[in-house]
Amino acid sequence: MSRIIVVTSGKGGVGKTTTTANLGMALARRGRKVAVIDADFGLRNLDLLLGLENRIVYTALDVLAGQCRLEQALVKDKRHPNLVLLPAAQNRNKESVTPEQMKKIVGALTQAFQYILIDCPAGIEMGFQNAIAAARESLIVTTPEVSAVRDADRVVGLLEAAGIKNNRLIINRIRPAMVQANDMMSVEDVQEILAVPLVGIVPDDERVIVSTNKGEPLVLAETLSLAGQAFDNIARRLEGERVEFLDLNVPNDTFFSKLRKVLSTKLF
Amino acid sequence: MTDSSSVPVVPSATSEATRDQQVRFKSEGGKLLILLPPEGEGDIVNSAAILTWAEIWQQLKHRLDASDRFWQPETVVHLIARDRLLDARQLQQLAEALLEAQLHLKRVYTSRRQTAVAAATAGYSVEQQSPLAHLNQPSGEGGQALEEPLYLETTLRSGAEVQHNGTVVVLGDVNPGSAIVAAGDILIWGRLRGTAHAGSRGNARCVILALQMEPTQIRIANFVARAPETPPEPYTPEVAYVSEHGTIRITRAADFRRAQFEENPK
Repeated sequence: MSRIIVVTSGKGGVGKTTTTANLGMALARRGRKVAVIDADFGLRNLDLLLGLENRIVYTALDVLAGQCRLEQALVKDKRHPNLVLLPAAQNRNKESVTPEQMKKIVGALTQAFQYILIDCPAGIEMGFQNAIAAARESLIVTTPEVSAVRDADRVVGLLEAAGIKNNRLIINRIRPAMVQANDMMSVEDVQEILAVPLVGIVPDDERVIVSTNKGEPLVLAETLSLAGQAFDNIARRLEGERVEFLDLNVPNDTFFSKLRKVLSTKLF
Repeated sequence: MTDSSSVPVVPSATSEATRDQQVRFKSEGGKLLILLPPEGEGDIVNSAAILTWAEIWQQLKHRLDASDRFWQPETVVHLIARDRLLDARQLQQLAEALLEAQLHLKRVYTSRRQTAVAAATAGYSVEQQSPLAHLNQPSGEGGQALEEPLYLETTLRSGAEVQHNGTVVVLGDVNPGSAIVAAGDILIWGRLRGTAHAGSRGNARCVILALQMEPTQIRIANFVARAPETPPEPYTPEVAYVSEHGTIRITRAADFRRAQFEENPK
């Protein structure tokens, strides 16, 4: 039975699409057959992060309109044969699809794929309703900011009301140094409010921006960055492996950061 | 323990109007009554206050999840749809959700012909009332007795709002961005971080209890207070009440009885 997972957050810009792209790729590399669906109709991005923009011929909307078969719209990844992307239409908006249509598409994909990851748009309107319509579980992405956590909380409530009970949390863009200095919400602070089981902590990393612009998911790098490692670990946890959370404090405890800490404690 | 600034406010007239905009559950004679908020047709002025089916559905699911162990399995449900227009699909959705909680929809009360037809087709007994009938039901009239306490076993998350014409007991956290409005007391066996309004119909003797009191805002009757900027550490169970001086005070639960006693010497 294939797993249908929606990646959602409520707030925009917290890393839903980055997470979807990296988890999709990481799972494909582990030999799973994965379909990633861009449910962000009108503001599609997932194709860019996967570097597949120039291969799109048909979109999900063409499938629904009967202009092509579903298989024709699926874009096979250029690096990994196990990964396909179902792109969203860029020239329409969220109202052009209904939850029933989403269910139909996802239902058809379950025949051939073990994992179906749905990249949810920001917000809780029609696009959100479409994205979660077919999902059986969810990954909630949040950053350690009060606004992102508040929106994530609302989204958990909506997911529960929609009958999706298997929700797990990814805390993205955490900066251990700031947490240590008490300038940022810690993982515990976030968890205390959301009370959702944690599946991953991803550190803030400049290489995420590079990978986004290049269309190369982090998990493909030869030497994994810390963020890439974190995404790979999340994929392993989704597979049911028990993987320790990364110890994010170590690399930051260099001589300079220690020095800075000593200085800052003396200053204030 | 902590004195917080509080200012009396004028009771808002809107709360009376929106009180009815909530799905209500009521047990009566071994049956469970589910009351849907009225649609108020033709009332364009209030259209923003009218809930859509999706919102009603969310409230309903939330309430079913939060209270599911308080109903005996196989309890009979009567749906009081008032002037809500329900189609066959919505009725079926409703019946399925109820069935998940082992509740059986048997009878539908409605004042709309289409709803009556849809319900009859789906095999429920239907009672069609005149459109004015719901006005006779106790709603929004002053001076009525409080309803039974509402017991919720759930986390109230951002965006959730519970309104109840009686006391509310929550076994779980009340997160920031959520709100409880109760005509009676509010008891929270967990953290209170959202907004709580006790004695919403003007009873200043109502109290708010929480194991960990970090509210966004507290209201009792016509009084409003913010939580202290520097919360006490470590947290202990606390009670918020309106003191003699007409301000909201928060005191440790263990000291509550004594504090009241000192303020109102008999």
